[in-house]
Amino acid sequence: MPQVKIIAKNFMDMVASLPAIKLDLLYRNQFICEAILRSLPPLAKKYVLQMLYIDIPITSKSLQEWLLADGSSKHKVAIDRLIQLRVFEVIDRKKETTYKLNSTFQTNLRKHMISGGILPREPMPQSVTARLPTSEELDAYAHEQWECFLLQLISSGQAEKSTSFSSSMMRIFQRGLLRQRDKEAPRLTESGFQFLLMDTNAQLWYIIREYISNSEEQGVDQADLIAFLLELSFHTPGEAYSLDTLTDDQTTMIKDLADLGLVKLQKGRKESWFIPTKLATNLSVSLTDSSSRKQGFVVVETNFRMYAYSSSKLHCEILRLFARVEYQLPNLIVGAITKESLYNAFENGITAEQIVTFLQQNAHPRVAEKIPSVPENVTDQIRLWETDLNRVEMTPAHFYDEFPSRDVFEAASDFARMHNGLLWEDAKKMRMVVKAEIHMLMREHLRGQNK
Amino acid sequence: MASAPSKLYADDVSVVVVLLDTNPFFWSSSSLSFSQFLSHVLAFLNAILTLNQLNQVVVIATGYNSCDYVFDSSSDLNRSFENGRMPVMCSSLLQKLEEFLIKDEQLSKEEPEGKIKSSLFSGSLSMALCYIQRVFRSGALHPHPRILCLQGSPDGPEQYVAIMNAIFSAQRSSVPIDSCFIGSQNSAFLQQASYITGGVHHKPQNLDGLFQYLMTIFATDLHSRSFIHLPKPVGVDFRASCFCHKNTIDMGYICSVCLSIFCKHHKKCSTCGSVFGQAQTEAASASDKKRKTPET
Repeated sequence: MPQVKIIAKNFMDMVASLPAIKLDLLYRNQFICEAILRSLPPLAKKYVLQMLYIDIPITSKSLQEWLLADGSSKHKVAIDRLIQLRVFEVIDRKKETTYKLNSTFQTNLRKHMISGGILPREPMPQSVTARLPTSEELDAYAHEQWECFLLQLISSGQAEKSTSFSSSMMRIFQRGLLRQRDKEAPRLTESGFQFLLMDTNAQLWYIIREYISNSEEQGVDQADLIAFLLELSFHTPGEAYSLDTLTDDQTTMIKDLADLGLVKLQKGRKESWFIPTKLATNLSVSLTDSSSRKQGFVVVETNFRMYAYSSSKLHCEILRLFARVEYQLPNLIVGAITKESLYNAFENGITAEQIVTFLQQNAHPRVAEKIPSVPENVTDQIRLWETDLNRVEMTPAHFYDEFPSRDVFEAASDFARMHNGLLWEDAKKMRMVVKAEIHMLMREHLRGQNK
Repeated sequence: MASAPSKLYADDVSVVVVLLDTNPFFWSSSSLSFSQFLSHVLAFLNAILTLNQLNQVVVIATGYNSCDYVFDSSSDLNRSFENGRMPVMCSSLLQKLEEFLIKDEQLSKEEPEGKIKSSLFSGSLSMALCYIQRVFRSGALHPHPRILCLQGSPDGPEQYVAIMNAIFSAQRSSVPIDSCFIGSQNSAFLQQASYITGGVHHKPQNLDGLFQYLMTIFATDLHSRSFIHLPKPVGVDFRASCFCHKNTIDMGYICSVCLSIFCKHHKKCSTCGSVFGQAQTEAASASDKKRKTPET
């Protein structure tokens, strides 16, 4: 049985790393079963469907007979995944490995196929909620909320309105993304910059992952949290759901999620309700693939000027990391990529490659059609400036002089050359520089010579 | 990279257009009742939608006189991501289906007796292809479409030309046509459709387990088909219908210009108007006859 340590790259990896008892508990929820099924590789999905109505264990040999010859590697991946998630139970019988579907999973999935899933809560009637935001408004809200959160994350002072996350929670999120030298303002680390380069779903997942892994400290069960998040992703975006249907734990969670833009909280005359946004429903979508892609906004010209069609403060902050922002119009940020601005970025541990990919990935649709989307002279110059910084190479070394005789000097320099440690020599004045690694060897060699 | 990633959808995202045979003449004589059949199919549709949140299902009812869309999982009624809710899907599908059947029945008042009671397969196949064309044109990002025919009625030879045209256009746009024949005699049209377009044809032996057949064979997405054992065609019935009397024939005359098929010698081709040579004596013409034999 494969027991690999799982690095949670996405939601399902995190689910897979849960202990067995918690997983079995999770499978009592139909929606989790569905989400799990959707996250599986295609072949694994097929196995589950095929075995859905088979009650007896199936030998691994007959499973393999469903496959053509060249699918065996896929088979292995599928089976490993199924066992990891405890969807397949392994039963060894008479030297033959047989598989059986997890019975809770099986019954729930069967129910789901026949009657469909029913959410634990119904959308609220129109009469109570009066007017709900349109999907565009909701998207804009989610976007704004998320951006506000990001802005607060990278530079706490900039955000207009602060989220209700406690500063300790915020610090947890910032861990790894920001580096604070004493008394200086915190700076983005390399991974922090990479974080900003990711698309929204990936960023969201990073934050949710941190949130989940720290939930235990706040007295919330990880499995409960995961179950709730998965359930949330099956709600209809734009519909209102009453807050009364939530448990106490879920009510506290939903407030945090509202800060991230996953849900919008609204209050009526008597009741209050939450409206899931696309970010929430995409949470389970992004598990398998990220089909949503942001539109680019940056145009870079050959004269190193950069025009960013964006009104977002966050974008401005990101650009400020490596470019000099000259002026800002309501929907346009104009800046220049200069040597100084880039040196600043390099000092912060941002690499030229990252900047170039950022510019390419966020190219304005008009220039994105062109190849290359960022002028070659600009990308080349960015790389050149980076290598400029690396022109001086530091090697720890030792300096030798005052050799008693030319023979000793020559023997010593040969010895150093033999050990590949000679950096510089001046035969006339009998001086040389030797790498620090072989200093000890060198010393012993010279001592032997002196005798 | 900057170049628009066209393959952002995972390989196993699919649009399945299901052609449902609702021919009352067939279902009145079938061993499997229509309601049982529907319950198998509904569970199957639900399974397809469950497999991937981006999967899409379209159901087209093939009646005796007409055909119509009865269900589309991407329409507003079902909401884009909320497609798994069976009660909504089930009720809307059944309601549409009932309306369709009533309309279809009204059309069939003055039908002459004695004809082969086939369903309007050519119409529904064309509708499916139209829908798929719309999917293709919806942008660079579209799921892989395929057609599944759940057919039980016998072939209507008079639809031969229309069906073959639809099959070839499906082949051109590389849309596989899967077919599951639930009637008693196997259908030559369906066999040819699946054979030409690279789909799967199967005739289940035991109709009580239709769901398992559907899941095992027809739920396989196009990506997985490259490494899964699926039923292979064993002897496809390639017989054609003649253009003049719409009879299914083994042997006949073919216009050398437009390849139209006739069961008797004509002076002039009815399709392209070319004038044929003088009819030869029976003995001589035997060698001229083009043969169309079933390749078994």
